[in-house]
Amino acid sequence: MKNEGKKETEQTKETEKIKITPKNINENESGSEKQSFEVDRRSVYRCVQCGTCRSVCPVFDVVGWESANTRGRMLIIKSLLEGRPPSEDVLSSLASCTTCGICASKCPAGANPPEVVEAARAQLVKCGITTDAQKNLKSAIITYGNSFGETRGRKHWLSETERSKLPERSDYVYFVGCFDSYRYPGFAKKTFDILQRFGVTLLPDEHCCASPLLRTGFREDAEKVMQHNLEQIRKVGAHTIITSCAGCYTTLKNNYPEELKVISLPEFLAEHLEELNLKKFDLTVTYHDPCHLGRHNKVYDAPRKVIQSICTLKEMKNIKENARCCGGGGGVRTGYPDISLELARNRLKDVPEGVDYIVTSCPLCVRNLRDAGGNIEVIDIVELVAMAIE
Amino acid sequence: MDITAELQKIVGGRLSVSPSELYCYSSDASQVKGIPDYVVRPKSTDEVSRIVRLAYENRIPVTARGAGTGLAGGAVPVKGGIVLDMSGMNRILEIDIDNIQVLVEPGIIQDTLNETLKPYGFFFPPNPGSSAMCTIGGMIAYNASGMRCVKYGTTRNYVRDLEVVLADGTVIHTGSKMLKSAAGYDLTQLIVGSEGTLGIVTKARLKIAPLPKTRKLVIASFENAETAGQAVVKTFSHGVIPSACEILDRVSLQVLKRYDPKLVLPSEGDVILFEVDGTENSAREAAEQIMAVCAPLALSIRLAESEKEMADIWAARKLVGAAVSRLDPTKSRIYVGEDVGVPIKKIPELLKRVQEIAEKFNLPAMKYGHIGDGNLHLALFIDVLNKDEWDRLNKAADLVHRTAIELEGTVSSEHGIGAARAEYMKAQWGPALEVMRAIKNVLDPKGILNPGKLGL
Repeated sequence: MKNEGKKETEQTKETEKIKITPKNINENESGSEKQSFEVDRRSVYRCVQCGTCRSVCPVFDVVGWESANTRGRMLIIKSLLEGRPPSEDVLSSLASCTTCGICASKCPAGANPPEVVEAARAQLVKCGITTDAQKNLKSAIITYGNSFGETRGRKHWLSETERSKLPERSDYVYFVGCFDSYRYPGFAKKTFDILQRFGVTLLPDEHCCASPLLRTGFREDAEKVMQHNLEQIRKVGAHTIITSCAGCYTTLKNNYPEELKVISLPEFLAEHLEELNLKKFDLTVTYHDPCHLGRHNKVYDAPRKVIQSICTLKEMKNIKENARCCGGGGGVRTGYPDISLELARNRLKDVPEGVDYIVTSCPLCVRNLRDAGGNIEVIDIVELVAMAIE
Repeated sequence: MDITAELQKIVGGRLSVSPSELYCYSSDASQVKGIPDYVVRPKSTDEVSRIVRLAYENRIPVTARGAGTGLAGGAVPVKGGIVLDMSGMNRILEIDIDNIQVLVEPGIIQDTLNETLKPYGFFFPPNPGSSAMCTIGGMIAYNASGMRCVKYGTTRNYVRDLEVVLADGTVIHTGSKMLKSAAGYDLTQLIVGSEGTLGIVTKARLKIAPLPKTRKLVIASFENAETAGQAVVKTFSHGVIPSACEILDRVSLQVLKRYDPKLVLPSEGDVILFEVDGTENSAREAAEQIMAVCAPLALSIRLAESEKEMADIWAARKLVGAAVSRLDPTKSRIYVGEDVGVPIKKIPELLKRVQEIAEKFNLPAMKYGHIGDGNLHLALFIDVLNKDEWDRLNKAADLVHRTAIELEGTVSSEHGIGAARAEYMKAQWGPALEVMRAIKNVLDPKGILNPGKLGL
């Protein structure tokens, strides 16, 4: 298993050179010994400090300090590489990146700052430097298998009978994710109702996909969690995983072994539109591209195709590779809720006039956009599809 | 005196002394470095005035900064002290279409200003490659220009009045709403291009221009850069003034194609992009004239097919400077010797000599720039982890600067002197540098305003 993903980019290959020796990581995740800071230099020096990212970084837009934009983060990482001792002073910069990736999509030099930031976070973890929010998140996942520290069973949204009837083996598995399992079980139910028609099953003991651990630098812990899920997948004998969470999707697709086929729910739905026989509605909706589904993995057309098979789509002001982040990713909602919600409010400014719903395809985006308090209802794409099926 | 506490009284939480924050303000896009002691983000002229007065009384250096996109270290606090991050003062205070002008704060981003003006049918013409992120304050401080200055002029030509905080905190206005004035020294023009060494601009009244009805783009390729330069000289001598006239050598073309594979650009030679604007008829006529004049020298010549094609080419051209790593991920473009200019007639010679310098030091080079106004952006790229390449790079850049002076040109056409090119001021200006020094001493007797810049 590799930690770095399988996107065929030069940047990825470079970042894969990040030096991690498991032994050191284990020693230092307990904070017992300070370690030197090592991130692949070439991926950092690729930044020529032109400032293009400064004009698009959504966190900088809200915070205003140079340390809160991508160039600032790259400079701070550079300073650590050049010998400045890592300290908690860097956290407000490096931990406040949502890893939305708009900087990477605009960078003329082809730098990939989200990868560099994640690598730097891993080094900070190694040096025993993390925020309390990050520590709590890690502890919840390691202890309870989910990011919320929930003690309920992960399939609590199914009845005892439904649980007992789940096929033990299938080629297809619905990876539910922490959010749909515990915060939006209604989404999980609706998604599974659809997927069951196609013989899809659930993992016997799904744990968090490890996205929060990877995004916040706990790579060794992530490895263990991913290993657990892989064993579960092998048990079921599945070759394809379907997920409705953008965070789970990018993690399963890019951090799990390559042989695993991963499909997002919008892609699955778009492929099966004919079988679904959806009703048409006289509704106009807009669509928010989740960063980890859109920009990171280029899934732009499938959700649009699904929406347009049901109702009218009126696009937001910034879409696809230019879509602004909702603020929900990268551990920012947990660590910096005020900044996170301000980002969501900014995203709501992109919503066009005259739409009935804001549709998206990620539960983190749903939560953040809902919590931002706009006056247009935010729904997941599965809710729209479920309406069209009923 | 506890300076931190005093600054806090003025700006409250908009002050930072955090080492990480200070580090983020220790550089711009150049290789110049300098760590400040304090960073403040003022919100009003009054706050700027009080901060500068405090600095004056305590002899603390003050360096104003916009978006930090400069290429000469102008906003880098090489002597420490206070960095004034002006990017939060970013309001458009007045759009006065009747008088064809706007009143803005210095932190407004160039593109944001133009997006706001577009519905009125007007624009602020100077357009550096960094227009998506650079601030108007920075443009004023460095007399920025960009691709369209060949027709529209530089920032200098658009500034009517500035509100300036002087070294002791006094606030003055340098001009008025008037189109012309014959009353006294032109302090506005003194401040434009002064790189924050004479005062801090807190408001700017700018002339704007009507948006042209249409633009057309002629794409011509030539066997070599020298022939391309000759075609430009010939175009001008035939009385055609394009709205932009850019050269892209073959390396630049490769970078552009890597940046945006959809671009249709000539597959051989060095390219000149001639843009003309005006009414449909006048633009078409000018484009045809350019094609007729250049055809005998060109390998290929054509008109861009659509507005979208033009927009895509310009968008890629704007970012070509930083995009070199797309060609070779082990190489980075380092901004040194990147902004020289010579009289238009000497452009072919400059191109030839610059190529010889790059070859002499065995450095890959990309040549592009505003050939229509004699401004060549030379991009030398190196492996930043290789010390020998750094040494060769610096020697090459030095020679490029000296060559420009020898050809009666300038070491900086639009990026400024800052600290990066300070050593060439004496060679370029001779005794005139003493006049600049005298002006500096009168306006900033304690030397607190952006010290270490302009070779003063």
